Amino acid sequence: MTKLIGQSVKRVEDKRFITGQGQYTDDIVLPGMTYAYILRSPYAHATIKSIDTAAARAMEGVVAVFTGEDIAKAGINGVPTGWQVNFKSGETMKEPPHPLLVADRVKHVGDSLAVVIAESREIAKDAADLIEIDYDVLEAVWNPADAIAADAPQVHEGAPNNICFDWELGNPKAEVDAALAGAHHVTSLDLVNQRMIPNPIEPRSAIGHFESSHDRYTLYTTSQNPHLTRLLMCAFVLGLPEHKVRVVAPDVGGGFGSKIFHYTEEALVIWASGKLGRPVKWTADRSECFTTDAHGRDHVTKAEMGFDKEGNILGLRVKTYANLGAYLSTFAPCVPTWLHGTLLQGVYTTPKINVDVTGVFTHTNAVDAYRGAGRPEATYLLERLLDTAALEMGMDPAELRLQNMIQPFDGVSQPGYMTQVALQYDSGNYQATLHRGLEMVGYEQFRQEQAEARKAGRYLGIGFSTYIEACGIAPSAVVGALGARAGLYEVGQVRVQPTGKVSVFTGAHSHGQGHETTFAQIVADTLGIGMGDVEIIHGDSESVAFGMGTYGSRSLAVGGSAIMKSLDKILEKGAKIAAHKLEAAVEDLDFAEGKWTVKGTDKSIGFGDVALTAYVPHNYPQGVEPGLDFSSFYDPANFTYPFGTHIAIVEVDPQTGKVDLKRFIAVDDVGNVINPMIVEGQIHGGLAQGIGQAMFEGALYDDGGNLINGSYMDYTMPRADDLPSFEVDRLVTPCPHNPLGVKGAGEAGAIGSTPAVVNAVMDALSPLGIFNPSMPMTPESIWRTING
Amino acid sequence: MELTGNHDISAAAQTLWNLLMDPDFLARITPGITRMEKISDDNYLAIADVKIGPVKGSFKGEVQITEKQEPEAFTLMVQQKSSIGNVAASVRIRIQELSPEKSNIQFEGKAQLSGLLARTGQRVLSGVANTLSRQFFESLEAEIKQQV
Repeated sequence: MTKLIGQSVKRVEDKRFITGQGQYTDDIVLPGMTYAYILRSPYAHATIKSIDTAAARAMEGVVAVFTGEDIAKAGINGVPTGWQVNFKSGETMKEPPHPLLVADRVKHVGDSLAVVIAESREIAKDAADLIEIDYDVLEAVWNPADAIAADAPQVHEGAPNNICFDWELGNPKAEVDAALAGAHHVTSLDLVNQRMIPNPIEPRSAIGHFESSHDRYTLYTTSQNPHLTRLLMCAFVLGLPEHKVRVVAPDVGGGFGSKIFHYTEEALVIWASGKLGRPVKWTADRSECFTTDAHGRDHVTKAEMGFDKEGNILGLRVKTYANLGAYLSTFAPCVPTWLHGTLLQGVYTTPKINVDVTGVFTHTNAVDAYRGAGRPEATYLLERLLDTAALEMGMDPAELRLQNMIQPFDGVSQPGYMTQVALQYDSGNYQATLHRGLEMVGYEQFRQEQAEARKAGRYLGIGFSTYIEACGIAPSAVVGALGARAGLYEVGQVRVQPTGKVSVFTGAHSHGQGHETTFAQIVADTLGIGMGDVEIIHGDSESVAFGMGTYGSRSLAVGGSAIMKSLDKILEKGAKIAAHKLEAAVEDLDFAEGKWTVKGTDKSIGFGDVALTAYVPHNYPQGVEPGLDFSSFYDPANFTYPFGTHIAIVEVDPQTGKVDLKRFIAVDDVGNVINPMIVEGQIHGGLAQGIGQAMFEGALYDDGGNLINGSYMDYTMPRADDLPSFEVDRLVTPCPHNPLGVKGAGEAGAIGSTPAVVNAVMDALSPLGIFNPSMPMTPESIWRTING
Repeated sequence: MELTGNHDISAAAQTLWNLLMDPDFLARITPGITRMEKISDDNYLAIADVKIGPVKGSFKGEVQITEKQEPEAFTLMVQQKSSIGNVAASVRIRIQELSPEKSNIQFEGKAQLSGLLARTGQRVLSGVANTLSRQFFESLEAEIKQQV
């Protein structure tokens, strides 16, 4: 039988997606359904003097109108935060409430004011137009560096100077200061990692369905994380008994992080459904996606790296102001801290590192994890520093990297690498991906072409990024120590049916990642059965015991490993049944190709026969329970650490500032690979998003705190003709601590690519000076960079 | 959003002043305005339909005239609400007589937008504002020629 692991098996889920048979939340129509429309604040900061809903209530077809006052009267809490970060002083971070509907003061454009529930979405929307609100518009602040000023408008009463927390990690600052003071050269960069809008193709949607016959609620929602949503909503917001609440995340059309979090609308439709006794559906329009899906990045940073005369890195000092938005989203505090500061070792031997992060409230939509979450921000500043330093010191950027890289280690015979910033890398061979990248790009030849092009007045440039990331989030004890309020294990249940067919229940959630294929490949290979005999079930709290969802490239490393643990238990019990049937000892059996064979004989029994015996245990081993169904909670020993080299080649027209991305090379090492096609697809998608940040995307605000590019007419995302055909390759350094040896591939593309493109533009323009191009590198921005 | 511009009109300053203080006249020549009603002296209710690319809305709100220096200058305070967002603008208008037959009208001010109006197509709005002001001055010139 051909091994399935390692094969580019076509995705089984694509049949329903490409034939239009996917079942998304908004496709679900329940008997008696009502439709909710949420009236949102047009102002970034305003007090509400009065709110008059009489005309809306009077409209024909309107079922109910609720405001912030109704929510407050009902005693409903706001949505909670799942991660706690403390001040340097030890004081707990500021955690202001985030109510489902606001009664007194709106704090960002899109803040929820009232919900109209009607017989149709159109009626609800028209009725919302009739709600009269008298506002007192107040000054707003959107830039995190401005928000901490003494005279800045305050977002929350309990958070002086708009500071949520200040936090540091690494070596004592004095040691890093000394290292930089004694350095031969210090490269210093002021960087803005601009705010990104996630833009999944499917807008967020939620349906609340209360059945009074059973006193039971069902929430259908566009979530990457249905079990955690249930836990947070039941325990912290609505106070509902968890066993009476089912959360279903059916097909979900992309998330990129923005659908991890528990949103106010989810609790609102559940509460309203309970109150009205009818199902309530809410679906965002695209404008609401722009203003209320949690955004990403938004750091203002000063980064300094010191070198000795030979180019050895002596120290790194980073000060970042991280914009958290007006309210703390589910994982917001952890992104600019534990997912960012911990990655500042990069792949380098930097002996002294200090990172200082101030989390800041502003009158903007919440910022939380977006593909890569913290790690792209860390990679961006590190890799920009390396190429800038090379240019400033007249060194080759590839050589400078090789000289400072951590030596290869496999994490088995050699120990993991302890960083200065709290992590222990699992295994790595960082030089190998750079060497392979240089080979693919034809480095020496490119430098000759570049020199000739310069003579001809053309500006060609090359940029590097040798990234590392922490994935497979993570060991519960570690994240707990870092402030997580939940465990981060994963659950995998394998239920062998009496006929030997297999149902697998995973707490990971697929919204584009292809779990139904990858996980089935693992199960089919391990049990020696066909892929068609395996069904992967996810996204329903009723069928899946528990789960922590999909983000942080964790599904295969953690969720896949949980399934592996259950498969081990299935095979162990199966062997006992097989031994009984074959009248042999367990130790004398081999399992291969879907059957147990007595070593050295042709006596064997197939997996299907063993399954049937387990459920029809007439002739059965003593002391063994019937059935063949195991569940496992897998809590890994460490994060996983994928890494790689990304190289961009650009040509810049200094007359117009236009950047032409000519080639993009990506050599990624994500450990073992189950389905190369799916991994390559993930890399391609990530690259497009990372390049999108470098060249096209970014939220823009006016002085009033309005998002001014909140539509597809105004917010640029990369299109196919903006991107070259990617040249990708993979190397394999297995993860030493999980049973599959996998590291995760969902975010690598978005983490590594951004600085490579910016570095390439800097290199292209280097005959004109050493510039620090700001993102997105639109023609206007580059023209201004050159022309001052 | 900054609002600035100026235009020569074939009339004396006092003639222009009288016309610009007449709500019926203003309603007739201002693009988009469908109705203007006097609430009190120098305070009017205005109703307008505006279309900017794909964004359409019916606006309703007050227009106030303040800081009057007849016949040279006044300030327009505009507060308009709509389902696609609100507009708050303050514009100083100056009339400089160049000759008994000719004056220059100059305006300078700021408009603060909110809601869908702010986040969709704001970058094209100053172009739209220029077009609207040009239309206004052309209508003004045409009306004056007719009256003469």
